[in-house]
Amino acid sequence: MRNRASNSLSKGKIRQSWSKYNLYNLQRLRSPATANRTFFQQKWSAKALGRAYHGEQVREGQWKRMFSKRIRSVIPMDTADLAADDGSKNSAGRGSGLQTQGEKGRPSRIIPFTQMAFAPLERRLDVAIFRSLFASSTRQARQFVIHGAVTVNGQKMRHPSYLLNPGDLFQVDPDRVMFATGAPKTKFERRETRQLKQKDEEEVQDESEAKSEEAAETKPDTEKEDGRDTLKALMAQAKNIMSTDKEVLPAKRKQELRGFQKAVRRVLSRSGTSTILTDNLEAQFSELTLMLNAKRAEKKPAKQTKQAKNDSEESDAATSVEPEAASNKLSEAFQAAAEGADVDASELTDEEFEVLKRALTQMRDNPIDHSKPYATPWRPRDFMSAFAFIPRYLEVNQNICAAVYLRHPVARPGSAEVPTPFGESISTPAYGWYLKRRW
Amino acid sequence: MVLRIRLARFGNKHQPFYNIVVAQARSARGSKPLEVIGTYNPLPAARTDASDAVSAPRAYKDITLDKVRAKYWLGVGAQASDPVWKLLNLARLVEEKPKTYNKA
Amino acid sequence: MAPRVQSRSVSNLLPYITSSSSSTSSSIPSLCSSSQSSRYFSATPAPQTKLRRQMFEWLSTQGSGLKHHTPGETNYLRMADGSQSNRPFPNNMTFISEPVLSEELRNEVYFRVKEQKKSPRAVSVELGIDMNRIAAVVRLVELERRQRDKVNFDSSPFFSSFEFSHSPPPRTQNDETPKNRLHCHTLVLCTKWSPPPPLAQAGERQTYHEPINDLPVHPATGAQIFYPVPESRPFTRVDAGRVFSGAPTLEKKVSDKITHPSDLVEDVIQKPGSIEWVGKGDNARQVLQPADVRIPHPQLVQLARDRAAFPEERRTVTQRHTERLERQEKAEKERAAHAAERRNRNTETIEPQDSRFSFRIKDAVVSEETVGKNGRAPWAPGRRYGVPTNDRTRGTVKIPTRVNV
Repeated sequence: MRNRASNSLSKGKIRQSWSKYNLYNLQRLRSPATANRTFFQQKWSAKALGRAYHGEQVREGQWKRMFSKRIRSVIPMDTADLAADDGSKNSAGRGSGLQTQGEKGRPSRIIPFTQMAFAPLERRLDVAIFRSLFASSTRQARQFVIHGAVTVNGQKMRHPSYLLNPGDLFQVDPDRVMFATGAPKTKFERRETRQLKQKDEEEVQDESEAKSEEAAETKPDTEKEDGRDTLKALMAQAKNIMSTDKEVLPAKRKQELRGFQKAVRRVLSRSGTSTILTDNLEAQFSELTLMLNAKRAEKKPAKQTKQAKNDSEESDAATSVEPEAASNKLSEAFQAAAEGADVDASELTDEEFEVLKRALTQMRDNPIDHSKPYATPWRPRDFMSAFAFIPRYLEVNQNICAAVYLRHPVARPGSAEVPTPFGESISTPAYGWYLKRRW
Repeated sequence: MVLRIRLARFGNKHQPFYNIVVAQARSARGSKPLEVIGTYNPLPAARTDASDAVSAPRAYKDITLDKVRAKYWLGVGAQASDPVWKLLNLARLVEEKPKTYNKA
Repeated sequence: MAPRVQSRSVSNLLPYITSSSSSTSSSIPSLCSSSQSSRYFSATPAPQTKLRRQMFEWLSTQGSGLKHHTPGETNYLRMADGSQSNRPFPNNMTFISEPVLSEELRNEVYFRVKEQKKSPRAVSVELGIDMNRIAAVVRLVELERRQRDKVNFDSSPFFSSFEFSHSPPPRTQNDETPKNRLHCHTLVLCTKWSPPPPLAQAGERQTYHEPINDLPVHPATGAQIFYPVPESRPFTRVDAGRVFSGAPTLEKKVSDKITHPSDLVEDVIQKPGSIEWVGKGDNARQVLQPADVRIPHPQLVQLARDRAAFPEERRTVTQRHTERLERQEKAEKERAAHAAERRNRNTETIEPQDSRFSFRIKDAVVSEETVGKNGRAPWAPGRRYGVPTNDRTRGTVKIPTRVNV
């Protein structure tokens, strides 16, 4: 199918996409002038605008068959109100309830029915994938489905037009989701990927050499000075990694991450407890945490258990939330630890310990991997946040890239669940267009 | 002529589906049989029900079979083909077919 | 081919011509005045159209805040008056980005349903989450745990082959969480979770995630009906439902027994088939029930009534409520078991020792009812002979319409 979903600036149509062009178009969208236009013209342009966003990948005939003039709506009921009255009060008098002077009922908000004009399209699998933030556009979601990266209720589903039934669970291949939601690679990163492929074998050799070098470094006499330096480096790197500064260039960030990795490795090689000098991050991580845990356990065993509990509960959401203040504290703590010889790490407070742990977790969970099709370490796409919302008719689990289509979208007083960028001035004439049968 | 209980392939490319039919042995696979007594879907359906998470449930294959008619046709001398024999064995209508290496 | 701009005199005129039509992307020499001196005779189009320039200008000034976000906060386009809100589309005031469940809350739901063996209905009331969502959360968390346990990266062929070439780290058990912790949920607000009391007493507020007692608007209620009623008789929701579905008025004897519409709840829960039917043939329909019956948690209305009737006896009220819940759950369970039993009555599952698969043998009966007089009825077992499939006809859905779990 030819992709007509261009984000042309001159046309100014809005698409289901996270593109910055689309964002700009969305920002400058104004409701169309109606003064000198016939009702037909108004409906025509409203429907054209609406369809450019809602199911532009669906043929018009197909959509017209899907369209339903019946719109699902729902009224939230108050059980106390229901219990207080059996309805006879509402029907008293002339049928609309007895009215006393000055008494006012609850201000009733209207149900925006016409905002739900394109609700049947939200049932489509490709649209639902886009709505659960698993793809950066409906077109991309469609591609994922066609390429076999999507399962519905555990079975591979290759039809983007599959209409989800309430209770259907769909799951997208996590790698694809990472690619769709992650920032794209830069020119340099692409080059690095190429180089990685070319120099694959050489690198393996280099690594083994580096290992032996590091092993040689662990000499008892240079330990103290070395320890201070490496710890300082470690704290600096951790601080940099954890900083939420947005302006840091990705390349630089990566450099820092690499440095941090190296520093951690050196710390490990220096410590007497680590008998195995491991090259992988997981072992390093467990080693380091074990080391720190053990040192903490000497002083405050009770607190440590609490710590472990906290760690397990700590969601990754908080990983990057950490303010810089804490990382500064960490650096101080490391300094203290370095001066007081590396045996005693009890100076670390809970918070600092946390920061170090988070930096390590992030390094482990979000590593540099040039084989991936997105920029590593993973970070969200630019301008993604403006489109990040999950409608209530979906229940999404981001950890496994799966979502459940709970029910069909409904309208309720004051709000409509179908995410549409248009106001009543466009959706009402568009709904009117499809009400009249023209075929 | 011999009556056979055999499979008749339906379905699509890479997506077989069989009718279990009673037909004259020499008749074509797709021709109209004497009787359709069941179906067999050889594509295993994965079980994704979340109820039993620990023991990985086996995928299942669906068989529909009219046991009364199958018994009747076997009684009047219809011969089951090898694949159908296996299915009838699962439904406990016939004994397991003796394997050739058991004989030797 | 674009006309070549030959002389400087023309180039002076050009801005006036092009400024009116913004979409033309022909060369505008004045735009690239800095580089113009070096290429008088160049006919290459200007690097950017006006719109593109404006876009990048906007992206670098007002739109720059949208490039990145602060985790845990939403970051949508500003409204027309410059205020930031939870509406992602400035033109659409009716679409609101609502918070999603936080991870702790999801785990709490799973814990209560699976470990504490509470019913989804009870958990729904406790936490203020829709019952469908409770079921979905349990499914998703279970799937997450199962995938974490099952997907053994070390044993999978992909990862073992990977290991030889790149020597990646062997994975620890903890690490089986897929690496796609995307931090996406930080983009959307999370419903904050604090352990609420089991049931809020009057006057207390619970942090509800969403309204749980949504009444679906029935299409029959769309009609505007003029229905004269004597003033001497109360006209309740039960009567209104009957009017909407065109059923005759209840006799006085019957209607006098119903003190409140929620009295009907018990009957409907115990015997859903007891709802009266009206109309004939295709027009047959069940009588529209009052809202007290049709909401997802009808027992809450009865609880509220009990509270109003016996404000002093909290214990009795709670006991009556739990009894009612138990009765309802028992009835629902019985019905589900009955349906499952009826479904599986004719099926037998066989798990042979030497097979990777299990077989479901369903008993079919070839008779006149099941296969039709000529043996060709569409509902007969097996694919049909001599009957064209209808998958080529226009308008029929040719792709699967449902995937069974």
